[in-house]
Amino acid sequence: MAKNQARIVYSPQQKAIRAVLWVLLAFFAVLVIFPVVYIILGSFKDNAELLRGGSNIFPSAWVVQNYVDAWNQANFAVYTKNSILLSLGVMAGSLLVSTMAGYVFSRKNFPGKEVIYGIFTAFMFINVGSVSLRPLYELAVKVKMNSSLWSVILFSIGGGQATYIFLCRGYVNSVPKELDEAARIDGCTFFRIYWNIIIPMLKPVMATIAILSFRQGWNEYIMPMVFTMTKPAMRPLTVGVNMLKNAGDGAAAWNIMFAGATIAIIPILIVFCCFSRFFMGGLTAGAVKG
Amino acid sequence: MTKVTITDKPSRPVNKKMRLKESGGLAAGLMLAPSLFFLCVCSIYPFIWIFRYVCYNYNGFKATYTGLRNFQRMLADAKFWGSVGTTFEYAALKLIFIIPLALIMAVLLNQKLKGSSFFRGVYFMPTVISSSISGMIFTFIFATGNGILNGILMKLGFISASSPIGWLTDAGVVMAAVTIMSVWGGFGNYMLYFVTGMTSISEDVYESSRIDGANAVQTFFRITLPMLAPVLKVVLMLAITGAFKDYEAIMVLTNGGPGNRTNVMFLYIYNLIFSAEAGSQAQIGYGALLSVMAAVIVGAVTIVYNLVARRLDDVM
Repeated sequence: MAKNQARIVYSPQQKAIRAVLWVLLAFFAVLVIFPVVYIILGSFKDNAELLRGGSNIFPSAWVVQNYVDAWNQANFAVYTKNSILLSLGVMAGSLLVSTMAGYVFSRKNFPGKEVIYGIFTAFMFINVGSVSLRPLYELAVKVKMNSSLWSVILFSIGGGQATYIFLCRGYVNSVPKELDEAARIDGCTFFRIYWNIIIPMLKPVMATIAILSFRQGWNEYIMPMVFTMTKPAMRPLTVGVNMLKNAGDGAAAWNIMFAGATIAIIPILIVFCCFSRFFMGGLTAGAVKG
Repeated sequence: MTKVTITDKPSRPVNKKMRLKESGGLAAGLMLAPSLFFLCVCSIYPFIWIFRYVCYNYNGFKATYTGLRNFQRMLADAKFWGSVGTTFEYAALKLIFIIPLALIMAVLLNQKLKGSSFFRGVYFMPTVISSSISGMIFTFIFATGNGILNGILMKLGFISASSPIGWLTDAGVVMAAVTIMSVWGGFGNYMLYFVTGMTSISEDVYESSRIDGANAVQTFFRITLPMLAPVLKVVLMLAITGAFKDYEAIMVLTNGGPGNRTNVMFLYIYNLIFSAEAGSQAQIGYGALLSVMAAVIVGAVTIVYNLVARRLDDVM
């Protein structure tokens, strides 16, 4: 590999072209990153400066009060707590449900297996949009689960599980069956094999699912909005920030909204920076196998 | 003959034993139960529910049977068909920009320049941000009076301070704003598919083309693009269906306005079902019918695309 690399020698002309291309990449990176930087830096401006507009990206004076106000008065402490609960709940549930189902689909033969699998696939492609939220909402009201975020967590798990199950099934398929058999001879039950043998083997794909489902829960917007229409205390960040915008006096509180939007994106950006390869790996793995 | 049966016999009981031990059927059933439960509750039940109300007038409290009235209304609903047109327009605009952009960036990243993997991370970054939040960020950027985009354009002298561009209020340019936002939020995904596809193209192919004296443009059209064709087909498919389904960010950015200029069909349906327009009642039965229609439209587009893609295959 190193030898191979060393063999590529660029002529001065090629070097110039590559420099130009690099500048192009960098310029484009600035464009892509601009909205995020703008909102983060803007969250330190005072409201008058934000409403005045202009072309300054950096605040003329750094104001931290925006965050204090957002946190205390605009209820962002509660929204943040809800967002964390929502995303961790979706993550834990998705991991459990999808690894178990993927294991069973991979290792067990039972009548109707292909049909069930087919239904899972079909519903990945059937998209009726927001209308399916209505029956789910009415169902949650009927079983008295509309007063907590648990209904949102459960429905979110249900909405996203198909992709994760496919990922798990594909991965379990690649684990040699001989391992199961050896464990069975040692007296392991079907569940013990899952718990002691398969789960440790599934770590890479579980990391991907954990990341993707965390993002899914953190970014969920329309469902929690519908479910918390009359319950402000249950709103996650995505909904809380946008409700400020829709409120009549929203125009006056740009600083709070900037701070709120920043609170909503910083955690997911940190997670992305730390685990970017799982985000990217998960995307392509899902496309190939799903 | 007899020899075979003799060797066959001892293996049978072993097999049986294996099968017995392999049972664990109850455990398997219990482990599959949660996902089946979710499939029934979150996918199958809503699907059936929708069809139940297609012929009803239902406001969330009271349902009355109206026969074909919803269907007749749909045929005459100019606002709905307008939103279908808007959806096609939006999808076309998004695809025209997002696919070439993703492809170009992937090719550039594939040149293994310094910091390529950093740039790849940066380009992918917008896709991890909630589309509701990105919609919100762009409402600030595109704001007419105090948005930063107009601010920068003024500073650079492209527009005068007296006539700022109404990115979100002018029906003539609002589509541009929506397209910019959705390209920003989505191209990283498609770029990554292309990058992954390109890594599977052997370095030898490029080397031999270099030896034959192919320039960069020739290499792209004669080697990269044909070798990427299978990936391109999948990506186009994902991009098309994705573009038709987008409405979350548009809802936050423009909520369909100004007028109904950016009212895509799923947004229109959402507003019907959750009576988001002030003072109106939820029209769930009608919304259910439109949802079915929207799903059919997306399905039809997918089928047409697949037919076209197969044709192209035959040609190439």
